[in-house]
Amino acid sequence: MLRKIWEHRADYAYVLPAIAVMLIVIAYPIYYTVELSFFNTPPGLQLRDKNFIGIDNYTAILTSEVFWKVTWNTLIWTLGSTFISFVLGFATALALHRDFIGRGVLRAILIIPWVISAVAASYIWKWIYHSDFGIIGAVLVQLGLADRPPNFIDSVSTVLPSLIVVNIWREFPFAMIMMMAGLQTVPDQLLRAAKVDGANAWQRFWHVTFPHLRNVSTVTILLLAVANFNSFIIPWIMTGGGPSNASHIWITHIYELAFGRQRWGVASAYSVLLFLILMSLGYFYVRALSGNERKDGSA
Amino acid sequence: MSTIAEPAPRSQARRRMRVDGWRWGGRIFLLFMLLYTALPMIWMLLTSIKSGFAAMQFPPQWWPDQPTLASYQKLLDPQNSVGQDFLRFFWNSLFVSTATTILSVIVAVPAAYAFSRFTFPGRNFLFFAVLLRNMFPAVIFLVPLFILMRAIGLVNTHGSLILTYLTFGLPLAIWLLKGFYDNIPIQLEQAARIDGATRFQAFILIVMPLSAPGIIATAIYSFIGAWNEYIYAYTFLSKNDQLTLPVGIQRFFSENTTDFPGLMAASFMMSVPVVVLFLVLQRYFVRALTEGAVKH
Repeated sequence: MLRKIWEHRADYAYVLPAIAVMLIVIAYPIYYTVELSFFNTPPGLQLRDKNFIGIDNYTAILTSEVFWKVTWNTLIWTLGSTFISFVLGFATALALHRDFIGRGVLRAILIIPWVISAVAASYIWKWIYHSDFGIIGAVLVQLGLADRPPNFIDSVSTVLPSLIVVNIWREFPFAMIMMMAGLQTVPDQLLRAAKVDGANAWQRFWHVTFPHLRNVSTVTILLLAVANFNSFIIPWIMTGGGPSNASHIWITHIYELAFGRQRWGVASAYSVLLFLILMSLGYFYVRALSGNERKDGSA
Repeated sequence: MSTIAEPAPRSQARRRMRVDGWRWGGRIFLLFMLLYTALPMIWMLLTSIKSGFAAMQFPPQWWPDQPTLASYQKLLDPQNSVGQDFLRFFWNSLFVSTATTILSVIVAVPAAYAFSRFTFPGRNFLFFAVLLRNMFPAVIFLVPLFILMRAIGLVNTHGSLILTYLTFGLPLAIWLLKGFYDNIPIQLEQAARIDGATRFQAFILIVMPLSAPGIIATAIYSFIGAWNEYIYAYTFLSKNDQLTLPVGIQRFFSENTTDFPGLMAASFMMSVPVVVLFLVLQRYFVRALTEGAVKH
């Protein structure tokens, strides 16, 4: 083994910079987070004064009410955003697949929300949802659908769906690009053959196009799910997790625990739990990606 | 094929109707998506050319009565303090993003090439370890990285940002580029080496030019990611003259909570560079995804 490594020593030089950066910025923080999660830490970053308390941080989290509330929010946020973004993105890709005048321009416009900063997007939508001068509220009032502008992001019941709309706005273009790329790999002959055999548009989609895109779909959905699970900016800037935790998701909650209330130990324990969840998701992620890999090899 | 009977005219008409149904459904859906995508951006632009007073009216002025570029002038005027800050943030963002992009390409290209071509022990493990980075949110790394950056004296410098931004651009960059290199026939390099090129020369002269779309896509991705990044910049930087645009704009807004035209103008100008960059180079990006990531 060692000899084999030595024989390939020149190969490692190519990957060394990438690995080195990764080690500094990832491996060390992971180690440190795990360590901190077993300690009671003082506020401020005087972490030399920390003392070991075993798994108390973990039990405190799992028995707190906020934890379950935030977990529920995270579930709705992640599943809702991922599913709707994917369906809208896929449908848009299908609708854009056939050539027509202005297709390129339309595609470019549809991608823009994905490119602009989430901070800018958050402020644009915060203004749109504004409880006094927001445009949606004004339209609803003008059309007679509401007596006065509704509170979209200041109300416990509507805040999460409202934020999900913003998130989908930013994210469906990604699914669209991925699925457009995928659609180009569906062989035309197959579709034509199916047509000759009498398959209608829906049957062609369901029996030819869709199975062909299984891999791309899996990768896209996983990437979206991971990104959504990890999102921070939109809830943080638009509501800061409020009102009364209604839009707190895991990441914003961890951030607030750490940098707002300076409870580094508890925040670290949260991070470790998050880490474990992500590792199990990661198992599927790697399997989906290496599924592509194997196909590459045999092709 | 002569064996297929010509369909009767009536059923042909019916089929055309059904096809048209799908097509019309698609068009209406696209129109809906266009409105969903574009209306918020149009409202941003319309608000940005109103005066502060005109923006705060109910019912709103759908079209500004007296359009004004005052907000833009204020942000771009080096003589007043808002303009000074904005231009400095803009410059900081440009510097950090460009440095990140250049370093990403320098680090990702050889790594992706090695993952594609060489079979060294631990190759798969390392490849997936790199990919797994994308799984983890910035917040997990924030506290320890903050402590680490403080220990090596990088807090409040752009170096801390460039170093961290490198890592989240790298996984996708390596993955995309590896797909590219997988598709470049190895015979091309072998031919070059028979002609006397070293492995390195073959890499630079043959492989690099062929993978240019992948490299451009990688660069766009890194640049946009760095330009839009918020959490690390928000945590690592506290000095006003170091801030990048996303954090700077947030600070601006927390001091002027009712200046929506100014905020919209700032959001617009912050979006212009990345949108232009992306629109100019998007065909490379889509091509790289098609040839690199999606092909199977």
